[in-house]
Amino acid sequence: MYGREARQLVKELSSGENGQLKAFNSDMVDQVTKACSVHHLELQSLIRKIQEEGLDTQTTRNADHFGALIHHLALIRNKRCLMAYVYNRADSIRNLRWKVGNVLPQEIKGKLSHPEQEYFKNHDTALNLYMSALDLDLTVDFVPPKDPYIQVRVIDDIGEVFLSDKKTNLVCHSIHFLKRNDAEQYISQGLMEELMG
Amino acid sequence: MASGSEEGGTGIQIDEYESLISTTDVELLKRAWRHEKAAPEILQYEGTLVQRIREQIQLMVETVEEFAESGIDPLTVSLYEMDLDRTQFLLRSYLRIRLHKIEKYMIHILKTDLWNRLSEQEQKFAKRCTDDLGKHLEQSVLSRLPDGYKSLLKQSTASEEDDMVSEPQLDTFVICKSKRDLGTFQLDDSGGVPVELLAGNLNILRYKSIKPLVESGQIDLV
Repeated sequence: MYGREARQLVKELSSGENGQLKAFNSDMVDQVTKACSVHHLELQSLIRKIQEEGLDTQTTRNADHFGALIHHLALIRNKRCLMAYVYNRADSIRNLRWKVGNVLPQEIKGKLSHPEQEYFKNHDTALNLYMSALDLDLTVDFVPPKDPYIQVRVIDDIGEVFLSDKKTNLVCHSIHFLKRNDAEQYISQGLMEELMG
Repeated sequence: MASGSEEGGTGIQIDEYESLISTTDVELLKRAWRHEKAAPEILQYEGTLVQRIREQIQLMVETVEEFAESGIDPLTVSLYEMDLDRTQFLLRSYLRIRLHKIEKYMIHILKTDLWNRLSEQEQKFAKRCTDDLGKHLEQSVLSRLPDGYKSLLKQSTASEEDDMVSEPQLDTFVICKSKRDLGTFQLDDSGGVPVELLAGNLNILRYKSIKPLVESGQIDLV
C-alpha cells in the first residue's frame, strides 16, 4: 500500500545490469494493481462520505478530503511506477531487436511476459516494413568501417551459404576472409568471431 | 589558358570519379549525421540529400563493378570500395539515429509539429510504433487500473494536460562551432551574461539557447 510494492518494481528495473532484462515480475505487478483498486475504493468511499454530509466535493477541505487526496496521489504514483516498469522494459525489448536480430534466444524469451513477446514481434514487423519501404537494410554496418573485408573464424557449424560475391562452406573452426556486411549478421548471433590484429 | 584538370588516360577516369563522388554531398551528409547525433531532438529530414546520396551510391557500386571486371589495379578498386562502404555507413547511421529518436519520443513527436520533420516512411513507422506501444501498455497495465486512471497520456482524468508523455531534454549541453563571427549573443531571457560567438571557437552551450542558430545553419554541432 501507499507505493511500497511499486517501489520494489522500480528498484528491480534499476538493479539489472545495463540492458539486461530480468524475468517479468507478474506477481509484483498484480500486487500493485490490487493496491490501486484498494486505494480507489477508499477514495470513492471518502468522497461518498463528503457527499452524504451535504458538502460540496469540489471545494470542501476537511479531513475526508485530504484522506481522499492521499489515496488519489498514492494511486497515480502506483500508476506511474507500473507504467515506468512496463515502458522501460519495452525500451530494452526494442534495443534487443537491434542487437540480437529478429529471433529471440530462448533464455531471453523466457524472461518476457506474453504481451511483451507480442510487442517484440509487432515492433519487428514495423521495422521490417520501414526498411523494405526504403529498400535499405539498417541492421548492418554498426561500426564505422576500417576495411571492406574482415577475417573471421567460424564458431558454430553453419554449412554452405551464398554470400554476396561467392558461395562458401562455413565449417566449424575455419577461417575466412569475408565482406564486412555479410559477416555482421553471423557475428551478432554469436556464430562467428572477428579476428583482430 | 591553362586549365586546372590534367588530360591523360587515367586522369580522365579520376576526374569522372571525383565528379561521381561529388564531395559536397558527402560532406553535407556528414554534417547532417553529426547534427542528428548531437541534437537531443529530431531534426528536419534531409529528403533531397538522401535521395541524391542513394543515386550516387548506386552509381559508385556500378563503377566499382566495372573497374573490378576491367582489371584495374586491385588496390585502387579496394580504395573505391572503402569509400563506398563509408558513404553507406554514413547513410545507414543517419537513418538509424533518427529511428532511435522516433522510438524514444514517439508520443511526443505525434503530438507536436516535430511530426513535420519526419519523412513519409518514418511517419508510417512512428504511427505503427505508437499503436504497438499503446496496445502493449493498455494490455499490461492500463486496462487493469480503476476508471478515471486508464488514460495513456494523462495520469488521471483530473490532470489538466498530458503529463505522462516523455519529451526530449532541450537544455542538454552541446559542443558547437560557428563558421563566422556572430557577435555577442544573449543566451536566454533570464539575463545571463551574453556570450561572444567567434568563428572557429568551440563553445559548450545548452541546445535550447542556440536552437534557432542551428536551424538557420549558422552554427555547427560537433
